[in-house]
Amino acid sequence: MSNSSTTIDRQKGFAGGAELFRVRQIPDSVESKPVSHVAADPPSVNPAASKAYYFWLMMPAIIVLAFISIYPFFWMIYMSLHDVDIGKVEWNNFENFTKLASDTRFLMGWWLLIQYSVMCLTLQLIIGVFLAVALNGSRWEKVLVTTLLMPMMVAPLVAGMVWYFLYNGTFGWYHWLFQSLGILGAKSILASADTAMLGLVLVDVWQWTPLITLITLAGLKRVPQDQLEANMVDGASPLRNFVSVTLPNLYPVLLIAIMLRFMDNFRFIDSILVLTGGGPGNATKILPVYLFEVSFKFFKLGRGAAIALILLIVTIILGMLLVRIFDRQQPKKA
Amino acid sequence: MASREVIQYEGWPSKVFKWFSVVFIAFYMVWTVLPLFVMFMSSFKDLLEAFQIPPVGDWAGVTVFFNFTPTTKHYYELFANLGFSTYLFNSLVAAGGSAVVSVVLGSMCAYSLSRIEFRGKSDLFFWIISTRMAPVVAVLVPLYWIFRELNLVGTLPGLILAYTTFNLPFAIWILKGFFDNVPYAIEEAQMVDGATRLQALRAILPLVAPGIGAFIVLCILFAWNDYLFAAIIGSGGAKTLPAATRELVQPQNIQWGQIMAAGVVTALPMMFLGLIIRKYLVTGLTMGAVKE
Repeated sequence: MSNSSTTIDRQKGFAGGAELFRVRQIPDSVESKPVSHVAADPPSVNPAASKAYYFWLMMPAIIVLAFISIYPFFWMIYMSLHDVDIGKVEWNNFENFTKLASDTRFLMGWWLLIQYSVMCLTLQLIIGVFLAVALNGSRWEKVLVTTLLMPMMVAPLVAGMVWYFLYNGTFGWYHWLFQSLGILGAKSILASADTAMLGLVLVDVWQWTPLITLITLAGLKRVPQDQLEANMVDGASPLRNFVSVTLPNLYPVLLIAIMLRFMDNFRFIDSILVLTGGGPGNATKILPVYLFEVSFKFFKLGRGAAIALILLIVTIILGMLLVRIFDRQQPKKA
Repeated sequence: MASREVIQYEGWPSKVFKWFSVVFIAFYMVWTVLPLFVMFMSSFKDLLEAFQIPPVGDWAGVTVFFNFTPTTKHYYELFANLGFSTYLFNSLVAAGGSAVVSVVLGSMCAYSLSRIEFRGKSDLFFWIISTRMAPVVAVLVPLYWIFRELNLVGTLPGLILAYTTFNLPFAIWILKGFFDNVPYAIEEAQMVDGATRLQALRAILPLVAPGIGAFIVLCILFAWNDYLFAAIIGSGGAKTLPAATRELVQPQNIQWGQIMAAGVVTALPMMFLGLIIRKYLVTGLTMGAVKE
């Protein structure tokens, strides 16, 4: 730190170009190439800065993060290799993992998770994008978008509760609606194994389609209008215009939306725990729900850690993809 | 604009599209608002009134929904007898605490990350973001074990720390984008004028202050709405609103009136906060990838 401040002081002292050049050569500088001080480029990088200063500024966050992420990660690995119970931890020869291979609920959990995510995403994308296109430039856009925000702010648990109430077989309004429309029999949507998953998907669609709409709206504002107009002058129909100009421009934004929603489906199970808790039978026991059950209902923490580790690794791979997409986005914005 | 005239040439398909979209929007808005409306109304209904629905197929009977005498007894019950004021306090402290801790530490870290280059920076970055994206249940398994050893289960500090697992990486990631947009030249000019580094940092704070404020609010929102951490880490001594709401569901006797009232108490403040930070909402919810 003291080292660097002298650098700055010295820089202030020297006015001549050659002198400045020499100052830049001191080993403390982060980048050795001579950079003009005025046109520091890229602007976010400060070549002559003291690493130590920034290092200490960074440390508290890194330490806290290490304690709540790296340390638990190693614990997770440790736990996954042991039989963990209250007061006893025993090595069990990779049994937690080998058992998973024949655990049908684990394998089903993956399949159901994929089913759930794909159903949610398909519906959300179709409805969300259509809604955005319909809303874009409308006179009521602001008011309507504000209304759309409301479900996203509701705690998923509360959303689950409300929908549980609406789906109820004896006094739920949505159940009454489904019955009156002749879609559903006397059984609630959540009570039958065939429809329970659809019931969960509807809740997710209700809560998170607006996010897709918002993202799409942001993307639509960036579609080059002159291209659309030029095409229209050439006689392209609006539909043709949408497919060949608007959609390709939306593609990067939609990719982000898809990845984010996909990961959130892995992350949040609050509403599912309330609505079905994985039932009826195991019809909606997607993997995170199963993991929750194993770990915190039966308290098989070792086994839970093994499942958690696999789930985590898959999520991290998905995350890598996401970051790569982010990175590809970045230069476009600048 | 010449474009206006061009757009005038509309065939019947666009007219059909327009009408269809109007109908669709109307339908979708009803579908969006209806559950919240039902929640709100049911929280003021007596239990028997809340359970009243018309017979199947009786569309005219929908008016039953509005046929009730409003009562605030569920709210009274929540706060007078069920200890919801404590849970409200817990929620406030846990969400607010983790938001402040995350944003203060996060902005220091984000600022540094934005100002220097070093080897392994992208790896560090990836680690930070992957912490945020890890499934909550998966994080919960080892965290629960560690926190139990440290006697942090059922305490507010434990819950604050647990919420920091997702709020801190979020704050770092998103605030870095903010600091990247502030040119280094401003600090540099300050330092040339004799300011110390910390004074220079203080000089650029007003530029990022609105963003920092908005992301404190977003961190509060994420933590406030969490249920899993609250149910496991907070179980016992640090019950938050969602966890307490869940406990109103008892096998024999589901207190719907109180649940709806608790839902309103939990959801309303967050909707309000969401409106306040409307400008930053999309940026925040997409981890900074999409800007409006």
